[in-house]
Amino acid sequence: MRRLLLPLVMLLLCSITFAKVDLVTLPTRDTVQLTIYNSADLTLARESRALTLKQGLNKLQFSWANTLIDPTSLEMLALSNADKIDIFDLTFPPRVRELGLWNIQSGVSGKVPVEISYFTSGLSWRAFYMGTLAPDEKTMRLQGYVRVSNNSGEDYENAQTRLIVGKVHILDEIAELARRQYPYGRPGEVGPYLPAAVSMEEKEMRGKGRRMMAMEAMDMAMPARPKEITKEGLSEYFLYTIEGTETILNGWSKRLPSFDTDKIPVVNLYKYELERFGESVVRFLSFKNDTEHELGQTPIPGGMLKVYRTVDAEKHLSYEGQSAFKYIPVDEDVELNLGAVTNVVLEAKLMDYSTDNYRFDYKLNVWGWDEIRTFKIEVKNTREVPVRVEIKRNFDTSYWTLKESGAYGAYEKVDMDTVKFTLELPARSKKQFQYILTTYHGKRQEEMPAN
Amino acid sequence: MTSKSNFKLMGWLLTASLVWTSSAQARIKLVALPERADTIIRLDNPQATLIEEERVLTLQQGMNQVDFSWKGVSIDVDSIRLKVLDHPEKVTLLNVSYPPNEAALVWQISSAQAWEETVRISYLLSNIDRLITYKAVADKKETQLDLKSFLILRNFSGEDFEQAKVLIDYGEAFDRGIQHEETKQLLFMKEPKVPITKVWTFDARKLPWDPEKMPERNIGIPVSYRIVNDQKSNLGKFALWSGKARIFQDDGHESTIFLGEDVTGMVPVGEKTELYIGDSRDIVITQRKMRETQINIRRNTKNQMVLYDMDEIITAKIENFKDSPAVLTVIEYIPGEWKMIDCNMDYEKEDANTLKFEITLPARTDDGPAAINLEMQYHRLNIRP
Repeated sequence: MRRLLLPLVMLLLCSITFAKVDLVTLPTRDTVQLTIYNSADLTLARESRALTLKQGLNKLQFSWANTLIDPTSLEMLALSNADKIDIFDLTFPPRVRELGLWNIQSGVSGKVPVEISYFTSGLSWRAFYMGTLAPDEKTMRLQGYVRVSNNSGEDYENAQTRLIVGKVHILDEIAELARRQYPYGRPGEVGPYLPAAVSMEEKEMRGKGRRMMAMEAMDMAMPARPKEITKEGLSEYFLYTIEGTETILNGWSKRLPSFDTDKIPVVNLYKYELERFGESVVRFLSFKNDTEHELGQTPIPGGMLKVYRTVDAEKHLSYEGQSAFKYIPVDEDVELNLGAVTNVVLEAKLMDYSTDNYRFDYKLNVWGWDEIRTFKIEVKNTREVPVRVEIKRNFDTSYWTLKESGAYGAYEKVDMDTVKFTLELPARSKKQFQYILTTYHGKRQEEMPAN
Repeated sequence: MTSKSNFKLMGWLLTASLVWTSSAQARIKLVALPERADTIIRLDNPQATLIEEERVLTLQQGMNQVDFSWKGVSIDVDSIRLKVLDHPEKVTLLNVSYPPNEAALVWQISSAQAWEETVRISYLLSNIDRLITYKAVADKKETQLDLKSFLILRNFSGEDFEQAKVLIDYGEAFDRGIQHEETKQLLFMKEPKVPITKVWTFDARKLPWDPEKMPERNIGIPVSYRIVNDQKSNLGKFALWSGKARIFQDDGHESTIFLGEDVTGMVPVGEKTELYIGDSRDIVITQRKMRETQINIRRNTKNQMVLYDMDEIITAKIENFKDSPAVLTVIEYIPGEWKMIDCNMDYEKEDANTLKFEITLPARTDDGPAAINLEMQYHRLNIRP
């Protein structure tokens, strides 16, 4: 049933040009390695095959109908006798699509292992996470997964699978390069691109009878324990190597566990910022990607986290919300936005408004003044767990001073027109405080006391 | 006009010397001419491709008319030249005429004797060109790379070249045939161990200042490799042509990963190029304006403000989450007339309004990321309301 998609086949003499040269017959690939990116639809495939070459000129045909291979990325390297094997050129013959012809000048005859590499589109992976909060919400179990999908048109069996975390800069979509009529286009032309090579009908055909095959492949590949993923840094990227090999047939996806950390200390953080979140308080779950939090070995790739909470002794769960987060470097703080809540309530009220310190110009028009506003902030934690609340206040001017009054006194200046108050609230408690904001206008800006 | 019916071709003119009006004047039609001898496809000018081909004309003593016609190809008529090779003193091109509504021209040639004369015909042919691509593999430490450059020959001219010398402006010629609608990829340069410098750049005008305000996406700091086209870099023999470069890295497991791709401009000898490969998410910069206050206000007799200065403070918190140190270039802009009051780091003025900082960031330690603060206070001077 397997479609022969990437075979290196013998060229059946279609042109007299090739008549005098023997074509190399190729066995199937020995090994294949896939390095899959998630910041772009791009996979680096590398396969090894053993060619049987004869001394002199050899022609080798490589075809890739119905796949999404970028022909401009094709490269062949001899793994032994590299100095005696000269890859003369790679020709994309006229009026044939999805076919390349290597002209190889060989100083040796016999078996030569070669490595063929290329980019393909259609394989992808993404990370996603499940978090389970302890009943007291002080710790969370965090399980990371990766899901690898193959829509490349090619079945990859027993492939060493590697995933790249990081953002690569690419100029052209691999899928577009794969669909071009001519690999490098025509002189003076951008495009045109042909429609996708695979029709719907063909896709349906392919789906049938493949389930068994995929299952069998899975059984064979299944070790007694979940596979481990090795993580290492390279340049600006992280490389995840999945233990052993994977068989991912075209159209299939596979979920693999990436890590499982039992007790990450977390902070229940609630934020209020009128300009950003409106009047609701928004819940965040905060922790740090470091060793104190049982993490910190590698960065955490961005993805969606679904958060559950254990609600009883039978370990029943309640769903708390979900949050997409971005890539988290080692030692970076994480704040996961779980959405607006109603069980922590904040009210910010203007309690008093006055003006003062008027200045008049030579015509006796108003030239400067102060505006003094007293705000009262009241925060209620109706939950049975302690919470931290961060309140940001933005002013529409950088000419301001702030005085506190009432229960709470400290604030942090975030930038020239923003301050932040931080409160810790025990379970089922209430706090309130006031502050007096003076803003300076016109001539009074020059007289403003140092802030 | 005789021409070949063959779909592509240049109906090359051909010999067939026709007897024409007078016996003193012979007319040659170059149609399926004697085999083309040496053909050169010269690609040193990226705008146009020059073809030179040698042919043998059978000339009669006296006046000869040689027709040169083509079909299915696009030749710049004004570019066609004829050079006599065997008897340049005795064979003279008198004039060139263009028949109406034909892709052709007629050479009138005077010959001192009847003989076989080799001529070189050159012309600019459209829709045949070359691209340059680069493929590089960096070492694991990112200090050097193995650089390869490929010539991509694209022939959509309508003409098949069975055998030709393909020339670019340096290096050896390739002896290759190339068919119409064929594309060929040829390796023409291979230079191992080209030193590179890895650079990270934060440009305050291009990147957002406060990553916290964009919780849904990472603000990557662009990372580039700098390559100098000189002898120290094992290069410097010729200008590197503009082209797409794909950069890989040795992963230490006898394989590579793809780092990214970029297009380099033309790099003359002695110059450098920077190839943008991707974004670092392990260097985080949070830049904020902490003060923006009018000072030194000057007024007219009516007490109206006519001139003021602006007192501004910018702080940038730079965190390195990487295991290794990095040299970060920070580009800041201050518009108009200005004076630096206080700055905790050295900078270079790129121009009147652009400041360039080169900041060495230590590696992350067990205690956390390496954090450095850049602080500058400056006055923007003499601003009118």
